[in-house]
Amino acid sequence: MTKTITEQKLRSLMDLLLKEGRRVVAPRQAGSIVLYEPIDSGEQLVLGIMPRRSAKETFFPLCETILTYGKDGNGVMVSDVDAGAFPETILVGAPPCDAAAPAVLDAVFSWDYNDEFFLERRKKTIIIGLACTAADDACFCTAVGLSPRDDKGSDLFLTPVAGGGYLCDAVTKKGKVFLDTYASFLAGGEAKPLPSAEPAATPLDLAGIKDWLESNFESPLWQEFADRCAGCGACAFLCPVCHCFDIVDEGTETKGARRKSWDACGFGKFTNHASGHNPRDIQNKRYRNRIMHKFKYYQDKFGQTLCTGCGRCVRSCPVGIDIRAVLEEIQAKP
Amino acid sequence: MEHDFEPKIVAFVCTWCTYAGADLAGTSRMQYPSNVRVLKFPCTGRIDPVFILRAFQKGTDGVLVSGCHPGDCHYMAGNFHARRRFAAFRQLLEFIGVDLNRLQFSWVSAAEGGKWVEVVTELTERVRAMGPMVEFKELEMEEHWSGKLDSPELKEAYQNI
Amino acid sequence: MQQNHTQLADDSYFAAVTNAIRTETTKLLSEGTVAAVIGYQAGTRAGTVIPTIITDAAKAGDLVFSPGCVNNLALYLTKAKKEVRPAGKVAIIAKGCDMRALAGLLGESQLKREELHIIGVACVGVKGAGAGSGEALTTGTIARKCRECTVRAPEGADVVVGAVPPLPEFSPVEAEELARLEAMTPAERWAFWKGHFSRCIRCMACRQVCPFCYCEQCLCDRNRPQALETTPRPAGNMAWHIVRAMHLAGRCAGCTECERACPMDIPLNLLNRKMARELKTLYDFEAGLVPVEKGPLTEYREEDDQSFIK
Repeated sequence: MTKTITEQKLRSLMDLLLKEGRRVVAPRQAGSIVLYEPIDSGEQLVLGIMPRRSAKETFFPLCETILTYGKDGNGVMVSDVDAGAFPETILVGAPPCDAAAPAVLDAVFSWDYNDEFFLERRKKTIIIGLACTAADDACFCTAVGLSPRDDKGSDLFLTPVAGGGYLCDAVTKKGKVFLDTYASFLAGGEAKPLPSAEPAATPLDLAGIKDWLESNFESPLWQEFADRCAGCGACAFLCPVCHCFDIVDEGTETKGARRKSWDACGFGKFTNHASGHNPRDIQNKRYRNRIMHKFKYYQDKFGQTLCTGCGRCVRSCPVGIDIRAVLEEIQAKP
Repeated sequence: MEHDFEPKIVAFVCTWCTYAGADLAGTSRMQYPSNVRVLKFPCTGRIDPVFILRAFQKGTDGVLVSGCHPGDCHYMAGNFHARRRFAAFRQLLEFIGVDLNRLQFSWVSAAEGGKWVEVVTELTERVRAMGPMVEFKELEMEEHWSGKLDSPELKEAYQNI
Repeated sequence: MQQNHTQLADDSYFAAVTNAIRTETTKLLSEGTVAAVIGYQAGTRAGTVIPTIITDAAKAGDLVFSPGCVNNLALYLTKAKKEVRPAGKVAIIAKGCDMRALAGLLGESQLKREELHIIGVACVGVKGAGAGSGEALTTGTIARKCRECTVRAPEGADVVVGAVPPLPEFSPVEAEELARLEAMTPAERWAFWKGHFSRCIRCMACRQVCPFCYCEQCLCDRNRPQALETTPRPAGNMAWHIVRAMHLAGRCAGCTECERACPMDIPLNLLNRKMARELKTLYDFEAGLVPVEKGPLTEYREEDDQSFIK
């Protein structure tokens, strides 16, 4: 039977979860923008606006300490991070492009090495997705195999209904258990979902694009696409699935911390070798890697596309590079 | 005399004038607060604003930058350049929200052991009255929410950093 | 909300500028005066543009000028973009604010005037943060910097295109914000900046779009010795933004590209502007339209103020 929840009940549910000691991460106002952040009360929940950054930091923090060290006369002490101490988290209000992302990243974070930082957070998080009823001119989830009402990656999925409130569907077992636990917040009955958002995206032939990428590592087109690229990391940092990171030791000889933080293939230093040699010495090679990784390498390795079509890179690029235009141009090539 | 709070003061000094001035104070057996840690540079012109920033970040409560009087620079104009740079930098720090009472600039020549004592004492006492510089230290401990650590062991390890 | 705002220039103004740019480009390229023209071409989303470098006169028709022409194209003439900067004489489309950056780069010996052909645009203004890609240029959507622009009619260009129609008086939003900050206590200002910088993700967009951030080795990338933390924690973020403001003091020409590019909406130009104002007060220096060999922090006078030095 279909369940529904009113907006007020949803906020009350968040309050209860917070009272129970859970961490609730949701879109909330941060200065002039909306970001995913832990909320202190259900009132802070901002629904229906796409946060400026993706939800990936819930699983893959912007910066986290992975060990601390100290050195004295008795030797070196190293304290590891206890991944078991990560808090139980509810991620709520993630649009399909954000909700689907962690599942895409599972592949790489449990590939040749199980990244306990990521996987433990995944295990401890329930994702409550939210269907989109509005898209802007940068949205293109439909072009990469998702849709504004795709529940992929969500444990629970909310669909806004006419007259306010949401349809509430359990997608996974975790979601079902959650729904049963908090059944008192829900109501039964029929409700008419609001019309779904309709991103005006040209369909992409991902297989065809991959074929072109296979044989065009060296192509003058890369120059055409990316000469203008300024080499910042805005696209990668805002992306729900870009997952490169850098590890640095910060501190002194006697004490400090080893920290892992986001990195981006657009940075000039990203592939800079200690020898001074840089295999991606110019910007268009870096941009090529971005496209290759998303639409070829990740396909080769894990059979998935490393893009959920959220459009954040399109909106944030300081020099107006539109990944859709690049892909469409590739697609038009024989 | 016992105090509740002993501020840490970092002094960035040029080797030709202020360092020699401080040396003179020492050899003349003048007393000045031991709160000051002297860091010697070839010239005030070599003192990058980043050093000051770094000192605050790493826990100093006050900073002194001192070098040769105008016209006395061993390299002719190093202190003239420094003067402009620090005039600008202190405005920037103030705009960010740093209380400029924690930052002192001075000209102390090799003959001015007494002035060195005076400058260091005054800054130390002023900063002592202000209490610890907590802003940068607190910031150093802060984490973005996504990377916050909740395990007690780590928190402890962290406190020790 | 929108109905209170009036449109600033009709389409004919932008069409005229676009046409003039195309005509000039065709002439320059076909006569061989320049090897390339750096300009704007239409982006994929309505009203957006992307920077482009044109070397073929037949492509002159791709160039446009619209309220979305926000980029400071001077970036593409710097050492940071040396891989794409065409050899030989280059023409560049420059708004008044962009020309200040060109003057600065000329002063810093990064460019040679004789290798530059400046197509100055008499500019109405461009759209600011928060304006939708499809929106028109109005008193509500105009960028903050354009509200206080003093260089609408660029001087010193090789050719100037367009004519600025009469514009209304704008309230100086940024100047007011600066005054509001200056009136705060240090603790309040610290809280203000801490809040903003804590949002910073170190994507480096502010550095990468800045025409003056052309260093081949940025201090913030150095790790031996490490001058400031590279991780996007609040501590390192604060240090980075202080260093950035300091390194641009006396050089920044106020194009506000850093602030525009910031995906986290940090009001970076307040720092730049504050520094510019202090240097004006202290040394009567203003990053202007005329290249000068030495900036305020690379020269000195014996009688400079030293009232803050004991």
